[in-house]
Amino acid sequence: MKRIFQILIIALMVPLLSFGQEDDQVMKARAGKFALTNAKIYTVTNGIIENGTLIINNGIIEAVGANVRIPDDAEVIDCKGKEIYPGMIDSGTKVGLSEIGSIDVSQDFSESGALTPQMQALTAVNPNSAVIPVTRVSGVTTVWTTPSGGFLPGTAAAINLFGYTPDQMFAGAKGIIMNFPSTAGGGRFRRRSPEEQAKATERALKQVNDAWDKAELYAKIENSDDVRNYPEIEALVPVVKGEMKLFIEANAAKDILAVIDWVKSRGYKDVVITGVSEGWRVADEIAKSKLPVIAGPIQAIPTRGSDKYDAAYANPGIMSAAGVKVALRTGDTENVRNLPYHAGFAASYGMGREEALKAITINAAEILGVSNSIGSIEVGKKANVFISTGDPFETATKITDLFIDGYKVPMTSQQIRLFDEFLDRTPGVKKNDPALKIIKK
Amino acid sequence: MKLLLTKTIRAVFLMLLTVSTIGLNAQSDPSGESAVTRTFAITNATVIQAPGKELKGATVVIKNGLIQAVGTNVTVPKNAQVIDGKDMFVYAAFIDGLSNTGAKRPENMPRPNNLFSPDPPNDYAGITPEHSLLDQLDIESNTIASLRKEGFGVSHSVPFGRMLPGSGSIILLGDKKHADELVLSKDISMFTQFAGAPGAYPGNVLGIMAKWRNLYRNAENNKKHYDSYAQNPSGIERPERDRVTEAFFPVVTKQQSVMFDVSSVLEVQRAIRLQKDLGFKLMVGNVKQAWDLGQMFKDNGTGVFLSLDLPDAPKEAKGKDLDEMTEETKRLEARKVDFYKKYVGQAASLATSGVKFGFSSLDVTSTKVKANLLTMIENGLSETDALAALTTNAAGILGIDKITGTVETGKIANIMVSNAPYFTKDSQIKFMFVDGDKYDFEIKEKSAAGNGNRAGSAAAGNDPIVGTWSYNFETPQGASTGKMTFAKDGGTYTGSMTSNDGAPDANMQEIVFANGTLSFIFMIDAGGQSVELVVSGTVTGNQYDAEVTVSAFNFSTPMSATKDGQ
Amino acid sequence: MKKNILILTLILFTGFVAKAQVKKGDVLIKNGTVLTITKGTLDNTDVLIKDGKISRIGKNLKAPNGVQEVDATGKFIMPGIIDAHSHIALSSVNEGTSQVTAEVNMGDVIDPFDVSIYRALAGGVTSTHALHGSANVIGGESETLKLRYGTSNPEELKFEDAPRTIKFALGENPTRGGRSRGIQPSSRMGVEAMLRNSFNDAIAYRSTWAAYKADKNPRKVAPEYDLRMETLVDILDGKVLVHCHSYRADEIYMLLKVFTDFGIKKLTFQHANEAYKVASELAEFGASASVFADWWAYKLEVYWSTAYNATILTRNGVLTSINSDSGELIRHLFHEAAKTQKYGDLSDDEALSLITLNPAKQLGIDNRVGSIEVGKDADIAIFEGHPLSVYAIPVMTFVDGVKYFDRANDIADQRIYVNPEESVENITIFNRLDEDRCMEEGVVSFEALFSNKK
Repeated sequence: MKRIFQILIIALMVPLLSFGQEDDQVMKARAGKFALTNAKIYTVTNGIIENGTLIINNGIIEAVGANVRIPDDAEVIDCKGKEIYPGMIDSGTKVGLSEIGSIDVSQDFSESGALTPQMQALTAVNPNSAVIPVTRVSGVTTVWTTPSGGFLPGTAAAINLFGYTPDQMFAGAKGIIMNFPSTAGGGRFRRRSPEEQAKATERALKQVNDAWDKAELYAKIENSDDVRNYPEIEALVPVVKGEMKLFIEANAAKDILAVIDWVKSRGYKDVVITGVSEGWRVADEIAKSKLPVIAGPIQAIPTRGSDKYDAAYANPGIMSAAGVKVALRTGDTENVRNLPYHAGFAASYGMGREEALKAITINAAEILGVSNSIGSIEVGKKANVFISTGDPFETATKITDLFIDGYKVPMTSQQIRLFDEFLDRTPGVKKNDPALKIIKK
Repeated sequence: MKLLLTKTIRAVFLMLLTVSTIGLNAQSDPSGESAVTRTFAITNATVIQAPGKELKGATVVIKNGLIQAVGTNVTVPKNAQVIDGKDMFVYAAFIDGLSNTGAKRPENMPRPNNLFSPDPPNDYAGITPEHSLLDQLDIESNTIASLRKEGFGVSHSVPFGRMLPGSGSIILLGDKKHADELVLSKDISMFTQFAGAPGAYPGNVLGIMAKWRNLYRNAENNKKHYDSYAQNPSGIERPERDRVTEAFFPVVTKQQSVMFDVSSVLEVQRAIRLQKDLGFKLMVGNVKQAWDLGQMFKDNGTGVFLSLDLPDAPKEAKGKDLDEMTEETKRLEARKVDFYKKYVGQAASLATSGVKFGFSSLDVTSTKVKANLLTMIENGLSETDALAALTTNAAGILGIDKITGTVETGKIANIMVSNAPYFTKDSQIKFMFVDGDKYDFEIKEKSAAGNGNRAGSAAAGNDPIVGTWSYNFETPQGASTGKMTFAKDGGTYTGSMTSNDGAPDANMQEIVFANGTLSFIFMIDAGGQSVELVVSGTVTGNQYDAEVTVSAFNFSTPMSATKDGQ
Repeated sequence: MKKNILILTLILFTGFVAKAQVKKGDVLIKNGTVLTITKGTLDNTDVLIKDGKISRIGKNLKAPNGVQEVDATGKFIMPGIIDAHSHIALSSVNEGTSQVTAEVNMGDVIDPFDVSIYRALAGGVTSTHALHGSANVIGGESETLKLRYGTSNPEELKFEDAPRTIKFALGENPTRGGRSRGIQPSSRMGVEAMLRNSFNDAIAYRSTWAAYKADKNPRKVAPEYDLRMETLVDILDGKVLVHCHSYRADEIYMLLKVFTDFGIKKLTFQHANEAYKVASELAEFGASASVFADWWAYKLEVYWSTAYNATILTRNGVLTSINSDSGELIRHLFHEAAKTQKYGDLSDDEALSLITLNPAKQLGIDNRVGSIEVGKDADIAIFEGHPLSVYAIPVMTFVDGVKYFDRANDIADQRIYVNPEESVENITIFNRLDEDRCMEEGVVSFEALFSNKK
């Protein structure tokens, strides 16, 4: 009896839950003119529009407001009871660069050598990674995808999570990644005396400064005859000239302060501090430096055994309250889809919902250097938006429609297709399977 | 030329060695070190016969290796060498509850070819309870003299090894011609520790606990089988000889105690858990964190030897440093101080709860023994309890209280003589008697401290680490051997490692050498992943004893290296 | 003199506590929204706890004399969260040197000082299943814990009288050790063979001992005692619940068949990322599953995962729980459970059961914990906000009616033992990719590390 009831439930649910494609139907993204009506629109930069309309045309947000004329040729999507947000931006991931964690040959985010800033993350982005649809159907439309490894491991890129070539995905900003020499003890089992650590840090810092000294010299004499082909150093020149952003990873409080001093002494104009796990310890100093930060992951354990258990949850809120401009990152690959939950935790533990939303939309866009095209719902910006059943931070909320670059992207992914196939599998179990003679009592 | 010279020196040295060997057989003593008589009388001294039992102006007569008489009214024998004990303090020599004193570390068993890691040979697994300290006892070991110098007359010494290295014996800390003469009480304990086999079963505490239970339960059964067979072999299958199980028999019959090296509070409780499960007699040694376990020790009748090693005192911040500290740092530093107090107060708190513990010297640098004892006294341990721990308690736990531990007639002449009450800062040991033999120590002026490094700085021109070293460390896949070379460029060391197994050379990074401690880092390639190994240890002459820690895994292993000849 | 008496009293008291049973509390939690799990949601309700047990649930209860009251107005009261897969509070996780180590026991290596325990309490967790790692086909016996933080005695963390459980493992992890050492099992074929071999050995062992016990000869000789076989026999005899690390559907199905052949019934699949593919077979057998909410892609065998796993299993009648396997995730299991509402619309009670009653059943402790019912242990978490909301904040956690976490009075430094020689700024930067996952990464590279076969 119970069993029959279960089957009945499944049968009833299948049509409700099936977002995915039908058996033999190929689902493609569609461009066009869309009118999203009757929605509660969170513009992020211009408040909330109750019962608003959003017009997408030719990839661009053409109009948004409470009294917007709906073009006759637009495909109307009635969003009654739903909400519209700018696509969420994760400011630190390996999306596209890593497919299966344990399989080395599917990992393309780390080059050999410590000084490889010319390595381009965008080149290695695999547009067909299964991770990408899994991520975007949760409303994350743009990610900062970063190389890692040595002290200058490469050039990161902002990518939109739709497109068939890296260039189609490119969201318009790149930046040099730098790992600042750390005074932190390193891995879990690292045991080193403070003296040894200090010495190691000093040596590493010298290496860093040598590279940047060369870059400054290179910038000065760039056009003379005797400059050798030096791609490592050449890649740093745009930072020296203020034409490209520099993202410096630093987590320990001491390291963050060292970065602030270093940036000041170098005079580089466009620098972002990333990681900032202990930013809460030195929030006022960061605020004073005016350097923006990318913090995360938020669902993380504290850096010290003696820290308050919620130090990582509270970190973005403390920095933001001190006046620091904060964007968030998951630092993840396959579960970048959890970005809204990292933001939700930050919101609950002091940042507040509005700031947390900014941290994964407009602040992120500004910090990465793509706010002219994405990060908020404004006329003229790219149509990176999603429609949800409610607050996207709330765990139970669902994303029902998704636009990236104005394309209406199908709401399917490998995980959804597996759900559709296996919720009520055909064939199901053979009754009294002889291989399984034990019947549940 | 240089080579030739070295060879010549070596030849001369060998000749000398040969001569002295002959001397053992038929020669007199041209060294002049032998005593004229083995009868001694220490007169007019303050004699602390036992903790809390003091005689003033007393005489102690030593003869034939025994304490012949003690008292204020004792006649000095004619043939005695008389030592004027005015202003001297006579104590029973101390007893060390657990160490490797006198033992020579055997070569690690190389990883067998085709090692079957789930079931390695016992020698590789470290399951050798049938071994004895006596197999490793080396009369020339300098550890004997250095522990004696700190006032110890006997030590419960155990062999080196892994899970079950063998049995421990009580040895006299004297100079003897044959190892057997050092032995006061043979094979009194089965020594065991939570030390897994590299890359083979039992690999860690999990496997060791299980293996212990298994070995013990089988030994119980086998003992019955052996006994039954011995009684009447007819109709009973012949028990197979198994040295491991036989070594457990005295433990099963409670004739022999188990000695566990358990420094942490969790290890202590694991040892007690095993004891509760199985029911053997338990001693624990090298105990460092048991301040809360007094009741547990009493309930289980555990013999306890506390480590004489103590953590370094947290540095107290002063002046500017203190001003710059955040409230948080101050709180955390305060907690460190609290815990430091627990470590240094461990002995006091256990004494207060009535545990009759001894001390063990396993992890302590011998020169720190007295300073650490004074630290424990400053932190609440009474002098009487400290002395009891060093003498009578230890003798009681080890079952040698009838023969040593007090300055009483009839006991072995194991005696320490100091120039002031021992538990005072400036006291120094003037004589030691071990088994009736006298050892003299020079009394240093008070400012003697700090002289220790003189030799080291004199040799600074000739850099102690620059050159080529042969190293050896144990990995899960067997021993790794090779050469490491250090050079000095300006003030900075550089170095590289060349492994004998054909792995690519690794450049060392972050080489730091200070105060005799050498540390560096090198990276090796593990299937495409770069893994960092941290090496840190002490350089003594041409010997380097270090630990290799693999940062990414909770793994560390000892490394030793010897500087190659010039 | 007075001071001496005080010291003496303190010492006696400490001694007494060390010997005494674990602490039990009395408390009256007033006026909260009680999520009972088994009997619905009760608004404005009080829960009275006496001697560590839930003694009454109702409105307007009066606190007996001396019993403290906790005002839960506007708050949610739920059963303490149970994590069916955890490696916190352990000094050691794998005895990875052998492929069958049924003889080892996580009860031997409990680490009561792990500050992760406190952090889990701060996420509303009251019990964990402290599992052996997944390097071995048959790992060691696990230990079910109650998170009674603050003691130095590992025994006080044990969930008294919880059924014995043991860890098995299939797939990449146990074959990796074999592959790197050139011994069995080096494939999924070898895993099945090793399981069957082990149980057949155990059957032979059982009959050898049975014959010995039946033998009336007073001079009989005992067969060899083997703790490993003893444990395997207990599994065959149904005395030990099996929790099996597994990912792929084929290996899950394989174990169902092996257990069917050997008549072993009590089986939970851990991780089981592809359990959804054989949900109906699991239901048919009566096996249960304890899964991640959304972890995937960190290795090949979890590439074809779906976050809808828990939903598919639940809808197909498989008893399912959501676990952490991580010192980080364990702090927000309530949030992990909530993900099943996004991925498959489970009801509130269904979602909350995944981290309370269902894991309790899988561990055989549902008679004691897992729901708020009179007579059950007072293992309770109080939340600000509904626990399935992303904005939920756990504010108090009780084990046996004793409060072990109170956000209002939380102190940062919760370490029990402090190393006096360690720098106060000893920093570890969290990296999710370093998270344990049964220490499987450690097993791999560590073997490779010193291998000459590179």
